[in-house]
Amino acid sequence: MVALDMIGFGGAKLSTQAIRRLLAASLALGATILVVVCLSAAWLVARDQEYTGWVNHTYTVERHISLFSVLFERAEAARRGYLLTHDDRYLVGYRESATALPKELEAIHALTGDNPREVAAVTELDPLLSSKLNTLEASMRAAQSQSMAAPTDAATLEQDQPLVSHIRDLLAHMVAEENRLLQIRTERQTANAELLLTSVLIAGVLLAILSVGAVLLVRRYAADLDGSQAELRRVNEGLEQAVADRTADLTRANDEIQRFAYIVSHDLRSPLVNVMGFTSELEVSLKPLQALLHEVGDKAPTIALKAAREAVTADLPESINFIRSSTRKMDRLINAILKLSREGRRTLTPEQLDMGALFGGIVESLQHTAVERGAEIAIEAPLPNISSDRLAVEQVFSNLIENALKYAKPGRPGRIVVRGRATANGCIFDIEDNGRGIAPADHERIFELFRRSGSQDQPGEGIGLAHVRALIYRLGGSITLDSELDRGSTFRISLPSTLLRDRDQTA
Amino acid sequence: MIEDDEGHARLIERNIRRAGISNTIHHFTDGTSALEFIFNGSDGPILNGPAMVLLDLNLPDMSGTDILTRIKSVEKLKRTPVVVLTTTDDKVEIQRCYDLGCNVYITKPVNYEAFADAIRQLGLFLAVIQVPEVVE
Repeated sequence: MVALDMIGFGGAKLSTQAIRRLLAASLALGATILVVVCLSAAWLVARDQEYTGWVNHTYTVERHISLFSVLFERAEAARRGYLLTHDDRYLVGYRESATALPKELEAIHALTGDNPREVAAVTELDPLLSSKLNTLEASMRAAQSQSMAAPTDAATLEQDQPLVSHIRDLLAHMVAEENRLLQIRTERQTANAELLLTSVLIAGVLLAILSVGAVLLVRRYAADLDGSQAELRRVNEGLEQAVADRTADLTRANDEIQRFAYIVSHDLRSPLVNVMGFTSELEVSLKPLQALLHEVGDKAPTIALKAAREAVTADLPESINFIRSSTRKMDRLINAILKLSREGRRTLTPEQLDMGALFGGIVESLQHTAVERGAEIAIEAPLPNISSDRLAVEQVFSNLIENALKYAKPGRPGRIVVRGRATANGCIFDIEDNGRGIAPADHERIFELFRRSGSQDQPGEGIGLAHVRALIYRLGGSITLDSELDRGSTFRISLPSTLLRDRDQTA
Repeated sequence: MIEDDEGHARLIERNIRRAGISNTIHHFTDGTSALEFIFNGSDGPILNGPAMVLLDLNLPDMSGTDILTRIKSVEKLKRTPVVVLTTTDDKVEIQRCYDLGCNVYITKPVNYEAFADAIRQLGLFLAVIQVPEVVE
């Protein structure tokens, strides 16, 4: 209870562990008290039954003693009546009583076997009864043999008076003894009942105190729990805020990169326009020069220096051509960056896509190239359908199939197989070809911008796969490559079954 | 002509001349001086009548679309043809320019021949279109 006071009024913050320990202790204490109360109550009730048995026993003995004395008085009275009247009815009553008396004494003896005082009284009573009965019997026989008319004298009737009073005294003693026992036993029984009541009351009070304490503890505990829950919620909100902040940072950084790519590629074009334009101007200016030189060569060959002629007819056009092809290439690269950044900024609009029809469309658009190159494209139906951005998905797969057509192994008819299956996490599409394959060292490199692998015998800037991977990432998917040189390649694309709109807001 | 890149300006001018246009060309490299000339210049279009504006969208001090909006919002100037010349081939941007009242939109391609051709044709186009009369 000291502990309870501490909790209830101490005000000091208890640790959850301490509260839990106190709760467990009070529960254990309560259980112990209950067990003790049950056991003691059971024991007390058993004792009560025992005491009741003894009280009943005393009553039984008393009843037998009084029965005995009644029988005894009846025998005496019947004999007296017979001796006086010689009426046979008294004889019958006497006989009944006389035969019952020893049996009754026997019963009393059996009942009081455990009480030495009563046993002594019975033992004393037994010869007295026998002699009394003998006396009675004798007087009865004498009376029967005498003439009917002769009345028995008073002396004969009163001759055994001392014996009778002795028997009566003994019986009175026995009753007194039983009464004494009865009183003792009743007192014991009452005391036992009081004890039972007291113990139950004490246990009840103890349990009540304990439960009040437990309730206080639980309330305290619940308040603590509420407190920690509120704390947790606060922390959680902070965490969400932190995540939102981080996401905003990332989104900002991503936007910054996109904008940067856009501005850079855009602004790079301006000087390029100049380079290209003035190169053309040079070319335009070159024409009159060439014509002039030609004319000079015709009219005055001595003036036309060999060096000047070479410069105008060979070096200048060659230089101009190099400048031009380089600027063209640079323009393509800038356009590629511009395209990628524009794709990155495009809003994705998910819709339900019939992948079979989508691949059918791609194959149809590439049919001409496929026939030209002697390749065939097989789509293994059925393909799982997904919900995604149509344009992006089309670009990804047409790019991959186009690549497969482009990089066929020379001398081997190309065969491209498209497979798809749904998994627990989304859908997986395989684009398998039997083309020239990609060396393991280049498996990562080919997905980088402007990087290409193998012999550079096909036109291209090294943009396609970079674009494909960027698109797949935006669609929430991934792409892996399984390939060996000369053995063909398998591009494995996994895409979510449903593109979440949230993604394009953050992207 | 409002064009911040001297090289572009020179190339455009040359091609316009080659197309046989001999009108005076005022060249501005920033939006502020261009607007000053258009609205307040003593020989500017608002006081002197018919003119044509060749406009680049990427200017150092303001966006070309701002200039376009300003020109098209003034009663005296709104019929003045505006040719937008820029490197942007963004469809949204092009659409926006036409919505603001731009008459012709030309992307500056790196393929110079096509560009020069377009400018020359623009010159021919300018030679035959009817520039609205300004009532003195």
